[in-house]
Amino acid sequence: MAAPLGASPTPPPPPTLVDIPLSKTEDDYASNSLAYDDIVRFTPAPTLILDASLIVRHVSDSYVTVSAASDREKLVGRHADDIFDIAVTLPAFAPARKAVRAARDTRRLHQMKIVTETGDAWNLRAVPIMRHDSLRCVQMEFLNVTEEHQRQLELIERSYQNETYRILVETVRDYAIFMLDPSGHIATWNAGAQSFKGYTPAEIIGQHFSKFYSQEDRNNNKPARELRDALSDGRCEDEGWRFRKDGSKFWANVVITPIYRDDVLLGFSKVTRDLTERRKAENSLIAAYEEASKLKSEFLANMSHEIRTPMHGMLSALTLLLDTKLNDDQRELTQVIQESGDVLLQVINDILDYSKLASGSFSISHDIISVPDIIQSVLRAHQACHRPEVKLESFLDPQLPRSAEGDSLRYRQIVQNLLSNALKFTETGYVRMIVRLKKEDEGYFTILTEVVDSGIGVPANGSNTLFTPFTQFDNSATKRYKGTGLGLSICKSLAELMGGNIGFHPNPEGRGSVFWFTAKLKKCKQLKHIENLQHSKEALKILTSTLVDPRETLRLVAANKRILLAEDNLINQKVMLRMLAGLGFDSVDTALDGKQAVAKVTQEQESAPYDLVLMDVNMPIQDGVSATKELRDKGLQVPVIAMTANALKGQAESYIAKGMTGYIAKPVDRNLLVKLLLNCLKRKSDG
Amino acid sequence: MSVSDDKGGDIMSIPGAEDTIDPATFEQILEMDEDEVEREFSKSIVYDFFGQADQTFKKMDKELEKKEGKYLKELSELGHFLKGSSATLGLTKVKDSCEKIQHYGQLKDDSGTKDIKEEEAQEKLAKIIKQAKTEFDEVKEVLKDFYKDDAE
Repeated sequence: MAAPLGASPTPPPPPTLVDIPLSKTEDDYASNSLAYDDIVRFTPAPTLILDASLIVRHVSDSYVTVSAASDREKLVGRHADDIFDIAVTLPAFAPARKAVRAARDTRRLHQMKIVTETGDAWNLRAVPIMRHDSLRCVQMEFLNVTEEHQRQLELIERSYQNETYRILVETVRDYAIFMLDPSGHIATWNAGAQSFKGYTPAEIIGQHFSKFYSQEDRNNNKPARELRDALSDGRCEDEGWRFRKDGSKFWANVVITPIYRDDVLLGFSKVTRDLTERRKAENSLIAAYEEASKLKSEFLANMSHEIRTPMHGMLSALTLLLDTKLNDDQRELTQVIQESGDVLLQVINDILDYSKLASGSFSISHDIISVPDIIQSVLRAHQACHRPEVKLESFLDPQLPRSAEGDSLRYRQIVQNLLSNALKFTETGYVRMIVRLKKEDEGYFTILTEVVDSGIGVPANGSNTLFTPFTQFDNSATKRYKGTGLGLSICKSLAELMGGNIGFHPNPEGRGSVFWFTAKLKKCKQLKHIENLQHSKEALKILTSTLVDPRETLRLVAANKRILLAEDNLINQKVMLRMLAGLGFDSVDTALDGKQAVAKVTQEQESAPYDLVLMDVNMPIQDGVSATKELRDKGLQVPVIAMTANALKGQAESYIAKGMTGYIAKPVDRNLLVKLLLNCLKRKSDG
Repeated sequence: MSVSDDKGGDIMSIPGAEDTIDPATFEQILEMDEDEVEREFSKSIVYDFFGQADQTFKKMDKELEKKEGKYLKELSELGHFLKGSSATLGLTKVKDSCEKIQHYGQLKDDSGTKDIKEEEAQEKLAKIIKQAKTEFDEVKEVLKDFYKDDAE
């Protein structure tokens, strides 16, 4: 059949092709008409032509190839059902059979798609060819559509995914998720965005996203900056205030991510979360915590006060009781009560100090102090009562300043605490106090004070918490050492208030600990003058060490001392004058108010300066505190003792903070006055 | 500083002295006397105080009647003033009342901690000044007795 095709140099004109079926008689369909034959034979779609009784009449070459039939002649003339049975490479012939019959019976074109188990897809087409209402033949096509089928499957899969994401995004209500175009205009809008920003999609799509920012942010160009950051970093996250349609604001977490397809920027995805509730919760937590901690400090301070007042009463009563005639047993018991009371008072004072330090209402005074004197005095106090098995030693750097500005009470408190700790935890060996001038610059001395002991030391795991409040490394139920665990943390705060530091390291000599702290003390201005007084100080020392009665000591110190008494109440003035005279002061001037006092001190400064001022606090015209301040402002360092009937705790400290040297409560107790005068006058001759 | 004084007689044994006089403080004043029979110094102080108290109470009455200007502040200062001297002498009750005058004058309650209204302060002041006067009169009798002053 190929020969006629090849033999014909010019194919017949197309109209003939159309004419063919028409020019043929009914029996002619199997004729060897060239065009007809070629169509069926060489169509690339594998094709069978069956007659009305489903006998194969024609087979296309392509069918022969795909069906892998060895011989096309074996196919022609056979019944379709047979063919569908033997051909093994063509898929699912049951459907083919069905299709053919359906086409024949319904006389309509029948098409079906078959997917085999191997994943191949075939398109089966059975075309009934009718003439004058009777079936002439059936054309069957077997098209392999596997590739197309695969593509379609992928497409379905992809659109399914897209759909899923779309539904997910659209239905999320807790997040605003939307797209921006590359210039930042809103392109999509989900339900979450609508519900918490308040705009409907119609209102907002196409608008610029900077609409959600505050005016301030917009002025700072924050929206554009965020897009830029997202582009350069691949992501931009921010927390801040954003605004709703109704103008209300919410605290938002925003993530902006650029979206690319094939390296082309499509826009940005923007996910916004409303953190207002979380932020509110966080803030209220913080506030609650601060409130609780403040309440705790206040409670501690108040309770300590409440406990301390009756404590003082009890201890004073005990002192009086000890002065009465007691037998040995009673005396011993009373002493036990007194000692326990003293310890308890110390504990309460610690707590009070700590709560004051914690609440920040603690101030350091700036008196003229002598570090060696403080150390000596602390050592003296402990010398008497430590274990005989423990040697108490001290080394004082001769370079230590004899005087500097600082808070003697607080410096002493640290030294005392470290020393009594060392003695508490050392059963044999030594406790050594080393005080050195660590650094000296133009304005300050830095003093390093070390307490070295050969005691039980500190376990390695305890050294971290040494300075933490309320911790003691011996927290066992059978605690051997009493205390609140506040001492060191108070020392730490005090050292820091003095511009210094505190620390611990194990004793390099083996057993025991070394506790050290530094304090920055301001240099005094009249240093030279003070050094000149060194002699009189030494002389005084000899005196004080040999004499026991402080009143006798004061009498010696009082000679040639000049005192100014500022007191507006003449009765009090008279009593004080008498008392001072009794103590050996024969040169006492008086002032009736603060102004007079300032005038007198200033005036006498040149000729015969006062050695001390006793200053009533409440006076007309100018009160004692402001008078003292004025004196200090003028650079006059004369010791000033405040006298007040407002003997409230804390107030006294505030007087000292305002420049007073000391204070005494009214009615003035003579013994206290003696002590205070001795202290101030001795200090004055020292520094 | 023993309170009992077998030479000059014990003020605390005088009826009415208990609670109105702080023995330790008053003793301190007595110790300033050179002569324990004459008691020239302490007696002068005590009598000075009588005069000062009378004057101060008069001023207080005036201010309280005036009820204008800085009368509350004045009253508070007067209270503080008399508190100072009565404290020095150890006249406990008078001192305590004076302290209250001081507080009320600052529109504070007894202990000086809580705020009070002006009207309340006026009421309290009138009452406490009256009380202070009575207390003063009582302790005056004790002191007079102590100094064996039989005038009046």
